[in-house]
Amino acid sequence: MLTDKYADRIEKIFAKYPDKRSGIMDLLYLAQEEYGWLSEDALREVAGLCGVDPTQAHSIAGFYTMYSEKPKGKYWLQVCTDLPCALRGADTFFTGLCEYLGLGEDGGTTQDGLFTVERVMCLAACDKAPVMQCNFFYHEHLDLDKAIALIKKLRVDAVQEAAPDPSELDDPAGGTE
Amino acid sequence: MTVTITIDDRPYEVPAGATLVDAAKMHAITIPVFCYHPKMNPAGMCRMCLVELGSIAKNRDTGQPELDDNGQPVIRWFPKLQTACTQIVSDGLVVRTQTARVAEARRDILEFILTSHPLDCPICDKGGECPLQNLTMAYGPGESRFSYGDKMHLDKHVPLGELIFLDRERCIQCARCTRFCDEVVGDDVLAFHERGRSLQIVTISDPPFDTKFSGNTTDICPVGALTTADFRFGARPWELDEVPSICPHCPVGCNISASTRLDREAGGKKIIKRVMPRQNEQVNEIWICDKGRFGHHHSRAADRLQRPVIRRGDEFIEVDWQEAYKQIASRLKQADGDVGFLAGPNLSNEDLWELRKLAGLTGKSPRLGIWPATMTGGDVIAQVGVGVGTRLQDMGPESAILVIASDLDEEAPIWWLQVKQAADRGAVVIVANGRQTKLDRYASAVIQYAYGQAVEVLNSFAARARSRRKVARPLVESRVDGYDDLHEALKGTRVPHADAADALLGAENLVILAGGEGLALEDHAELMQAAANLLIITGHVGRANNGLVAVWPGANTQGALDLGFSPEVTADLLANPPAVWVIAGADPVAEDARAAETIAGAEFVVTSTQFLTATALQADVILPRQSFAEREGMFTNGMRRVQRFYAAQGPVGEALPDWTIYAQVGARLKGDKPRLSAGAVMRDITQHVARYAGMSYSRLAQVEPQFPNVGGSDLYYGGTAYANHGGLGVQWATDAEDESARLIVRPVELPDRPAAGDLIAVPVRLLYDRGVLFGPSTLMHRRVPAPYAGLNSQDAAPLGIADGDQITVSIGEHRFELTARVNGRAPVGTVLLPRQLGEFPVPAAPTVCVVHKIEE
Repeated sequence: MLTDKYADRIEKIFAKYPDKRSGIMDLLYLAQEEYGWLSEDALREVAGLCGVDPTQAHSIAGFYTMYSEKPKGKYWLQVCTDLPCALRGADTFFTGLCEYLGLGEDGGTTQDGLFTVERVMCLAACDKAPVMQCNFFYHEHLDLDKAIALIKKLRVDAVQEAAPDPSELDDPAGGTE
Repeated sequence: MTVTITIDDRPYEVPAGATLVDAAKMHAITIPVFCYHPKMNPAGMCRMCLVELGSIAKNRDTGQPELDDNGQPVIRWFPKLQTACTQIVSDGLVVRTQTARVAEARRDILEFILTSHPLDCPICDKGGECPLQNLTMAYGPGESRFSYGDKMHLDKHVPLGELIFLDRERCIQCARCTRFCDEVVGDDVLAFHERGRSLQIVTISDPPFDTKFSGNTTDICPVGALTTADFRFGARPWELDEVPSICPHCPVGCNISASTRLDREAGGKKIIKRVMPRQNEQVNEIWICDKGRFGHHHSRAADRLQRPVIRRGDEFIEVDWQEAYKQIASRLKQADGDVGFLAGPNLSNEDLWELRKLAGLTGKSPRLGIWPATMTGGDVIAQVGVGVGTRLQDMGPESAILVIASDLDEEAPIWWLQVKQAADRGAVVIVANGRQTKLDRYASAVIQYAYGQAVEVLNSFAARARSRRKVARPLVESRVDGYDDLHEALKGTRVPHADAADALLGAENLVILAGGEGLALEDHAELMQAAANLLIITGHVGRANNGLVAVWPGANTQGALDLGFSPEVTADLLANPPAVWVIAGADPVAEDARAAETIAGAEFVVTSTQFLTATALQADVILPRQSFAEREGMFTNGMRRVQRFYAAQGPVGEALPDWTIYAQVGARLKGDKPRLSAGAVMRDITQHVARYAGMSYSRLAQVEPQFPNVGGSDLYYGGTAYANHGGLGVQWATDAEDESARLIVRPVELPDRPAAGDLIAVPVRLLYDRGVLFGPSTLMHRRVPAPYAGLNSQDAAPLGIADGDQITVSIGEHRFELTARVNGRAPVGTVLLPRQLGEFPVPAAPTVCVVHKIEE
């Protein structure tokens, strides 16, 4: 429960606004940070805190693309493929990235649950395209090699963080190396 | 106040503050809309109402209009088209609604809306009364430039709960439904999800689409995106006959249209296919609650009683009417006046009148009781009921509304809605009850008293009026009796809620809505008088938007009171039972333990009923009565508006209206001819009941133009059922409105406080119950809770009871098995017992009870 773990943060969020319902977006971020995505249970929890019907939390989570109502990989990779970026190769970059991770042409989540790749609308960095957000951090002036290097590094990070059974590391799921 | 605007080169006087769409419509100028609705705030979402807009240019120094070379005022036009729905009219506004630019914009918007709208009008429920169809015919392109094959396809049968279905393809994203839930009702249970083409209407409330007003969204939906589970694919609008009717479920008296047709499923008989709101701006505007909309199935339930039945020993035998009449008449003759009459909650005035006539033939002082006998004060209403023309929907910042001893949301949903909206407009709303209710969230002040102490709240307000010089001296001195005693009695009364009292006393208008929750009948009489005291001494009587409304238990309790029936007589009938009972349209045996015992001991019982109820099973003669759907008649609503309803469907079996039944019995007693038409009964009423003297069927049927004009031939608020062809009804005037009548105040007696430490069972009313008329609407069963008792955690904990446990509640010798609800709703020391949730009789008044947990 968010209230058990983040009582202070929740209090600070509510303190910013004249009424509780205004804190809903901050709390949705908090819930997403905690659970990785916004499940219906998470939406109900946040709505309960803000004193609104869960439908309202669902609606807000649906309106803004930075909320996810589907489980995501540990690393959420968002590539802008709008026209200006596409002219600088973002489209091919996206396809290449998906192919490298063994995903279909519309992206998706790798079987090991590490990476989710998505096309997104403008990231306001057309001049630095191809550009990719990784958990909302920007990686600019990319090409496929740079991206693959990043992915390899993230895999190592994930291993070190989670320290899983070494046998699982032999075949990084979805990888095509 | 009005302003002058120019529309299409002609000047019009329009009310200041109106939107341009409304202002134009008042002068029969059509500016088409989809998202705009006159009962809601403008949103400007659909762009259908684009017009050319300008204003007369004024010289900034002189304030005078600038003139061109021809001496005509210069118009400064907006460079682009503007939405008329978001434009508030102001002096000098110039509008063009008929230019080529406007026509092109309308055509383009329609083409855009239709890009992904399916062309399934031939199977769409809205087809035939669809604003999108209408406006496309009037303003749209004849052909689409888009390929039909390229249309986006989306889910067509998305359930928003079990009552309403969403067709995603048809939705044009006008947000009328979500705005209705949010703005009008305040239940934020419907919302948009995602954006653009992916946008859809969603609900994840529990239960889904959790509002008592969900059906209204299907009416205001300008396309067929929202349909009801009750009616979808049921019939086409042009096959339906709209029969004006009145909802029989609660005292609001919502005007409804029964949409009927000859139906194959009913063997070619005429039946109600759907119930729709019928516009009456004096009553329900254009809304009805879901109980009214979906609660009509009792009229054609399969287990309706078809023929008269008499008991021979332990057997029930079907007989013809003549035999039944003969039996009843001979028993009534033998009874020698020892007869009790009980009138149910939704007998029409005609029924009540013939029942009374019959009673008059049985003895010199006939005993006419009302069922249920939970509330009283017909005399008080006759003095200080709300003024003629009262509209809660007009009340705003200058007004105060006090709701006391009533859970309005459960007892009279449309009044709840109107009080809630008055609060939104700035009215002072004070809610006083023994527990929390849903209206609390809109209240300026919430007063929670110990059950039984409702009167104290009213007395303290009256005392505050006395001490703060808020007493209306001229009125009190000229025509009020008993003020000196009251003045003396109020001396020294504590005023624990001074702020609420001052807010209420500071308002220009005051309406009190009084229920009967937590009060025994004699205590309710005191509550009504206490309310009258407050209203009279502060001068809030005798004019519109002032006075008292009783939230009666039945749709026509007011009519029963008007025609001489009384709840006190019912109490007396139970205390001193007669040998013979005539029980019309009521089921006291199922609803009240004491009534069940008393009636079981009667010598002879006659009942007219739609179903084989518990009372019917005790009866010697059981008569099939017609439902509101099969006959005509009139109900008097809780604001004393007498309203007509008409026969919507064909007869069921040999069932007859109650008035016919009792007129026939009366004719046999008296040896003359019975009245044969409801109209003749009405004439008799108007000749003998002073309040109804000026009325007639034709006067009740009169209709005046109403604004907003929705439905009928209207193109854009659509709907074939809204149009009111059945009459707006007539509200009878109270004594307070007659300058020559005296008004009576008196000190009220406070009931004894219950002994501390006892648990008190308090009966409460729920909208969705298992009552005789609502049970057959199976569609609604998921919204009817299983029998339960509400307990406070402080009372539950020592008994080892947790939320959801099975418990027994014992009242006297009666023991009920129920589910405990320990959810913070019940105040300490009380057990909330909803009425009519199961096959057990809840006491009529608060009673000491004992609660035990059932060990598994």
